[in-house]
Amino acid sequence: MTPAQFEKQIEPRWQKLEKLLTEAEKAHPTAAVDELPATFRQVCHDLSVAQHRMSPQRLTQQLNALALRAYRVLERHSAGGWEAFVRLFFVEFPQAVRAEWRLFWWCTALFYLPAVLIAAITPAHPEWAMALLGPEGMVQIESMYGEASKPSDFVRESYGSGFAAFCFYIWNNVSINFKTFAGGILGGVGSLFVLLFNSLFLGAVFGYVHYSGNPMTLYAWVVAHGAPEITGMIIAAMAGMRVGWSVLRPGRLERRAALVLAGRKALPLLIGAAILTSLAAVLEGFWSPLDLPLSIKFASGGMCWVFLTVFLLFSGRRSGDAA
Amino acid sequence: MAAARADTLQSVELADGVEIQLRVAGVAVRSMAYMIDLLIRIAIDIGMSILMFWLLSGVLGPQVTMGLFLLFIFIMEWFYNVIFEVGAKGATPGQRIFKLRVMSLTGGPVTLAQAVMRNFLRVVDFMPFFYLTGIVCMLFTKRFQRLGDLVANTVVTYVELPHVVTAQTQIQAERRAPSQVLTREEQAALLQFIERAPLWADERRLELASLAHPLTNAPGTEGLRRLCGMALWLQDPEERRPMPPPLKGAATPRS
Repeated sequence: MTPAQFEKQIEPRWQKLEKLLTEAEKAHPTAAVDELPATFRQVCHDLSVAQHRMSPQRLTQQLNALALRAYRVLERHSAGGWEAFVRLFFVEFPQAVRAEWRLFWWCTALFYLPAVLIAAITPAHPEWAMALLGPEGMVQIESMYGEASKPSDFVRESYGSGFAAFCFYIWNNVSINFKTFAGGILGGVGSLFVLLFNSLFLGAVFGYVHYSGNPMTLYAWVVAHGAPEITGMIIAAMAGMRVGWSVLRPGRLERRAALVLAGRKALPLLIGAAILTSLAAVLEGFWSPLDLPLSIKFASGGMCWVFLTVFLLFSGRRSGDAA
Repeated sequence: MAAARADTLQSVELADGVEIQLRVAGVAVRSMAYMIDLLIRIAIDIGMSILMFWLLSGVLGPQVTMGLFLLFIFIMEWFYNVIFEVGAKGATPGQRIFKLRVMSLTGGPVTLAQAVMRNFLRVVDFMPFFYLTGIVCMLFTKRFQRLGDLVANTVVTYVELPHVVTAQTQIQAERRAPSQVLTREEQAALLQFIERAPLWADERRLELASLAHPLTNAPGTEGLRRLCGMALWLQDPEERRPMPPPLKGAATPRS
């Protein structure tokens, strides 16, 4: 077969594919597109033959473009909509946390231990906490958790309404989640830094309030939204560490492949962390500022922690939820 | 056709087993697309702030409006690229201007997960300033991938392959068998030579033909004539005389 004959022979096939593609790319394609996969495979075959026979570039490029266009049409996938989103949070997210339980406990320890440490030494050595908070931080703490002040007044003064505060928390805290994760690709250093910084800062706040303020107001304020917020931050750091770890120790995989795989594993963690942080923003914006008796605050806050623990431990364990 | 490449074509293998060429986009064009997107985003942000504070501030109060605006900024900052990249065109407005699009390295469109991954990692690619990390990373990967692309397994390509200029006239020469067995790469070089030779000036043809002196064994115009003859012989099997016996591993004559 001469090159010219070959070209003539394959022409009807790629013309047919072109027609089918134009049809399939419309919003409401006709039934004729059923033939698309078979025609696509034929043209792929033609392309392989053309490449092997070193056909003129004009021909191979044309087939190349067509094959690519068809592949995009065939591989077009819907994201799955809300159902997939719900499944991501309620099934894949807790599964991912449990699958990486070692990393979870490492990150949890890395967050709580320094915080507890700095809080514990503050009564004896307040200068550490003071250095971390800075003068502005100390003034803010006085105005929130001082002897005669309430955090809800401070928030009302700063943001005006619960809704405005909620929006601010989303914008600020969820962004920090995303940045914490992104920093993880630098061998985990970025995530670790954010985790430790927040840990020390929070520890300093608690220590300083114990030292000079009214700790009860602080605990009543944070107990409810603290559960999703702190856990969200820990899990965002965990997602970052997962990616960073694959850079440091790719194991038996090529580093590039390990990175891609780690990214896939980290995504449910990241999205779950962002949702937890958004929930925390709802609580912090609307629930925490309510002036309720301490007993109700602590009871409901405790429920938050219990719910979250049960959720992470047991959600997505049904047999139908297997990944 | 594995020659040392002077172009930016990269092969990927589709799930159907065929190899496809993608023309990956480099730092310069992607930076320009990014700048356009940045300007569009800034314009939208400013427009939205004027609109919101003008229309909503009276109704909802300045603080709630500020909150809504922060939510809007949050979505623009993190999801502007994601929303456009998972769209039908697979490209942001800036990328569309330069005829670029984001693709999965499998050859398909990017998934939502991939788009989220590659765009959230911009924070690191941006470090320490103006995408220095991303640019360095792109220069050191053969498909011009920044860190976000590496993790998401994506690549930014031109929508179209470079336009192939085809000659109107054809070279005429007497067909002749090559004086020795040619490898596939050598055959490809000859075939591309005959395809493109009509587009060049005489001096250029002669200059290139003189490189094939060991094959043609003749200088100047005679060498060019012989080279074209061999290329035509490879191209068209009509009147083909038997080739010298093929070496082991060498390409067999086409049927």
